Amino acid sequence: MLDRYRPGPVLMLTALSGWVGGTVAYAAELTVAVLDRSYEPVPQVAVYAVPETTPAKMQTPHDAVIDQHDHAFVPHVLVVQIGTAVQFPNTDRVSHHVYSFSAAKRFELPLYRGDVHPPMIFDEPGVVTLGCNIHDGMLGFILVVETPHFALTDERGEVHFDDLPSGTYSLNVWTPRLRGSSLPLPRTVKLEPGGNSRARFAFEAKMFPPHDQREGSLSWRDYR
Amino acid sequence: MARLPIRACLVAGLAVGLICPLLAADRHEWLLEFELGYASPASELGPWTEGQLGKLRFGTEAKLGASRILFDYQNRLRPTLWANITLDYVDDASSGIDITEAFIEWRPVPNSELVQHWRFGALYPKFSLENGERGWSSPFTTSFSAINSWLGEEIRPLGAEWNLARRVGGRGSPQALGAFAGVFYGNDPAGTLLFWRGFALHDRQTRLSDRLERPPTPIFGADGVSDYRSATLKPFAETDHRPGYYAGLDWRYATRALMRIGVYDNNADPASFSDGQWGWRTKFQHAAAQFSLPAGVGLVLQWLDGETYWFIRTTTEGTLTPLSSLVKDEFEARFALLTKLFRNRHRLSLRYDRFDMSRNPDLNIDSGHAWTLAYRFDTAQRIAWSLEWLSIASSRDLWTTFYGLPSSARERQLRMQMNLRLGTRR
Repeated sequence: MLDRYRPGPVLMLTALSGWVGGTVAYAAELTVAVLDRSYEPVPQVAVYAVPETTPAKMQTPHDAVIDQHDHAFVPHVLVVQIGTAVQFPNTDRVSHHVYSFSAAKRFELPLYRGDVHPPMIFDEPGVVTLGCNIHDGMLGFILVVETPHFALTDERGEVHFDDLPSGTYSLNVWTPRLRGSSLPLPRTVKLEPGGNSRARFAFEAKMFPPHDQREGSLSWRDYR
Repeated sequence: MARLPIRACLVAGLAVGLICPLLAADRHEWLLEFELGYASPASELGPWTEGQLGKLRFGTEAKLGASRILFDYQNRLRPTLWANITLDYVDDASSGIDITEAFIEWRPVPNSELVQHWRFGALYPKFSLENGERGWSSPFTTSFSAINSWLGEEIRPLGAEWNLARRVGGRGSPQALGAFAGVFYGNDPAGTLLFWRGFALHDRQTRLSDRLERPPTPIFGADGVSDYRSATLKPFAETDHRPGYYAGLDWRYATRALMRIGVYDNNADPASFSDGQWGWRTKFQHAAAQFSLPAGVGLVLQWLDGETYWFIRTTTEGTLTPLSSLVKDEFEARFALLTKLFRNRHRLSLRYDRFDMSRNPDLNIDSGHAWTLAYRFDTAQRIAWSLEWLSIASSRDLWTTFYGLPSSARERQLRMQMNLRLGTRR
């Protein structure tokens, strides 16, 4: 799963090719913290850095997977680089019927169990909302971004990029727990070669509670 | 409660053995559930299932046996078109195997935030917040509340229902609004049993072709009641060819709160009569809510308020005597249920019911309250055990005049049950 940023040989090559091309691009570190309006850290927020100076050097995206397990999409939020192939296995005993009517990707995977559908390529940037036509409570999101530099915040509400090519970036955050209009505006950060920068986003709007399909003591199924 | 019907079990087992391989495909979902148990009722009024005036399902003697065998089957004809059928085996006055619900469900894949689905057939409207399990069972108690016991007895429209839902306030918003509306045929005698017997608390759902025995009609002579005329009731019959309707709205906040309001009107002609069944105009308003409280406790509330009316007439060899007078009963019932699930396997529930029926408007037809305490233990995915204590106190003015019975009664029942579930459905 590509839910965390993984620096690897490809990124090193990107840095090297920048040097070969005449523009020296040394690696820089960047830590981003995301806080809610009471300054508590928020986990599971997508953070992605889009280079402003030169187009992002796209890496060959890894395949990604969204499982349907225990009547939920796992992970609930998946961030992928544009062009990524995503698989949708169903490991529940019951069938699911996955669909999206989002502009970034409209599709439908009719009733199935197991891993029967070939992976689907997400080639438009934006948010893809996933639903199940049988189980109305199932909800999942794929955020398709035009950069290989992305991650989800951890339990401390932080993301750490330790190998970004230096340069100017537009830094963005996204979570389904805020309305689109309440999301903070992108912020420009300039990363110096060998530098160690920090950025912080504090949400001003009240967040929706985390998506939770656990039934607890009551039954929340669609009543018949 | 009947003796365990060994032959029926064998036939059912054989049938399942034969059709299992056929049912393994993805498009079939099925559940076969056996409800076996022991009931120890204490009532002077006798079971309502035998046309008596009690509020309990079973007779006055302790009994061991199968209270229900349920077969619930869904065939996904197309990914968005499903056929659903629920068959019930019970063994009381109206016995054998019969259909409880049968409908076609169409769920077009949404192309916007609006999610809609349609249901066509004989079905329960979405009023109850208690009967969310397969076969319209309750996960909380064995015996349903007074409201839902009555819905299970007399409300089963045959019609078309439209459901609409929409998440409000953004993609990840926990809030959703919903609406539903149905038009239906049949269900014209709905209210008859309530009128003659009052409310009851049990889990005996009426199947589509059941003929229920209702308390006998007293025939008045010069010195009071001179005779009784017994009668059977088919609550889902059509007597006047006028469609009825129901509709509702709901609001949901994630798995923390759900509120629902609704109306129902069978629009029956209270002067109609067809094939031995009288039309009763019955309409009600309904409100329900459930909340997740702190410490993992769940609260369920329902309230029902309505009226039923009928022109008193008699038939002599199939000919109606002229209309004499209109009788109108007003009814109201409500309950609150607290429930807690421990370690996902043990459930403790406590419910308090109140019900009230009156006429013109000072005559008390049936009023009272009930306490239900239930414990349920899911030992495995396929087996559950439950224990329930039910106590009902009720009073009515007319019973002494009509039936020579005391004007108030206390009924109690202890029930133990084992549920055994087979199949692919949850």
